[in-house]
Amino acid sequence: MTIDLQALVQPDRVHKRVYTDPAIFELEMDRVFGQAWLYVGHESQVPNTGDYFTTRLGREPVVMVRHTDGEVHVMYNRCPHKGAKIVPDGSGSAGKFLRCLYHGWTFKCDGSLLSVPLRSGYEDTRLDLKDPQYSVRKVARVASHRGFVFASLSADGPELGEFLGGVATSLDNFCDRAPDGEVEVAGGVQRVIQRNNWKIFFENLHDTIHAVATHESSWRAAKEEFESMPAGTPKPFEVVIVDGNGEPLDFWEKLELKGYDRGHGFMEGIFVPPTDPVSRAYVAALEASQGAARADEILRVNRHNTIVYPSCSPHTSFQQIRVIRPLSVDRTLVEIFSFRLKGAPEATFQRTLKYTNIVNSPSSNVMPDDLEAYNRVQEGLTSDGGDWVSMHRAAGRDQALPGGRASNGNSEMPARNMFAAWASYMGVRAGDAE
Amino acid sequence: MNFSNWQEQQEISGFLFHEARLLDEHRWDEWQRLFTPDGLYWVPLVHGQADHLNHASLFCEDALLRSMRARRLDQARAYSQQPATRTVHVLGNVALESRSDTGCMVRSAFMLLEWRKTEQRAFGGSVLHTLEREGGEWRIRMKRIDLVNCDAPHEALQVFM
Ligand code: FES
Ligand SMILES: [Fe+2]
Repeated sequence: MTIDLQALVQPDRVHKRVYTDPAIFELEMDRVFGQAWLYVGHESQVPNTGDYFTTRLGREPVVMVRHTDGEVHVMYNRCPHKGAKIVPDGSGSAGKFLRCLYHGWTFKCDGSLLSVPLRSGYEDTRLDLKDPQYSVRKVARVASHRGFVFASLSADGPELGEFLGGVATSLDNFCDRAPDGEVEVAGGVQRVIQRNNWKIFFENLHDTIHAVATHESSWRAAKEEFESMPAGTPKPFEVVIVDGNGEPLDFWEKLELKGYDRGHGFMEGIFVPPTDPVSRAYVAALEASQGAARADEILRVNRHNTIVYPSCSPHTSFQQIRVIRPLSVDRTLVEIFSFRLKGAPEATFQRTLKYTNIVNSPSSNVMPDDLEAYNRVQEGLTSDGGDWVSMHRAAGRDQALPGGRASNGNSEMPARNMFAAWASYMGVRAGDAE
Repeated sequence: MNFSNWQEQQEISGFLFHEARLLDEHRWDEWQRLFTPDGLYWVPLVHGQADHLNHASLFCEDALLRSMRARRLDQARAYSQQPATRTVHVLGNVALESRSDTGCMVRSAFMLLEWRKTEQRAFGGSVLHTLEREGGEWRIRMKRIDLVNCDAPHEALQVFM
């Protein structure tokens, strides 16, 4: 079967099939997830020699391991002997080397074959243990940006820095916000299963105007909660992060959206930085290490979700990364990692976890209505009630930026920008997304 | 540790059954009133989780967050509650874990069936209630629910367990 992809993608609308056709999903795994730099994890998840962390890049099970020389390697979690997954799913320590459970082939932590039992059995056979095909296969390219490890399954393509373009500043600011300039993964990982195509989730990340409609139940509940408190009560953090979704459309209009080549982008922060004791102690710690001027410069970079297409979404000001793992055409796993800012007071990290618990947890009061919307989109798109998904809002009004475009907050520029990238990965053209 | 007598066992089991019934009948206000003012409702994210401040949780809700959830569930435009989640709790293995001057800790096992839209889900695990005696009534200082599959990927968890 051949698919005429060109007929499915236009600059301001896309055909429903790109969200519902399992064959297109398989093509995406080859062409989008097979080419782009994908987020693997953070170096702090494998602090010591032999520490490992497994994940998936597209369809491929991979493992990130810290080698004896301190370097972090990313390889396929597949034994070159008969194919067993070498380490179990999850994270842990393999010790000084990786030993396959099945026949005991042993590898260094960079994947190179160290020893096999019954070596003599291979003499005079066609199996040459020095042949690299009998070492664990590494993914084609691995690179790290300030501790954030990315990998590409393809040997070709831009370097990581060029790939990230303008959103590298979000990862930089993520670390700069730590008084010691470094972050570490901590506090556990939450996992949410969504019944929708992965692109629907990405497009929602910068779909500002859905918030007031979709999240009415949670922002109203938060506002009512606050109104029930004694007059003069400072607005609790828990209320601030939920009732913010209830801002009127002209509030979102004024936010700036940036879109960059290859589908990335970010949205300005929607919350005024809080000034309660926890926040003040954090700012004091940042000023003590960086000086007041530099601290001010760092904190002025106030961002809500950043999109690093097609694998993750860092939240710079609340220290989270959501990692998006497509499972099938209509199922997506989102994993939420929280980070500790090194050198910041413990209370800052506890607030990060509060944000994780309230906004990103499977039990979030905010997200179920998103999930409901995504699911209704997914189900609606399988119907004969229409063929196209509209991305027309404010089309043709974007401003050019070096390596990207900017728009006001109510534009569907981010969706058009992501589809321009999608089309180019898939080998077709969507015009220039205007 | 054993209950001191049959009455005590009946009384505490009866309290747990009543709490479960309030949840199954969506009587959120009455349920919230079972907690002490500083009472915590907590569903850890990993097995043996010792800490709810320095580790993420599935639920970690004080009075403010419980009240926000209850208010949301009752909103007309809680789209993900169209239709509402329906549940039934089954409790068993009620055992006294420890006793203190002001109350006691009770462990029970539970099964929770949940229905929404087209699908039934099952949850199960053990619950640790830290109870306090207050003016002749029992109050919950902590309800900790350890799901057998706490660390699994989950779809949305909307109602109190
Ligand atoms: S499959 Fe790994 S040693 Fe045989
Ligand atoms: Fe949303």
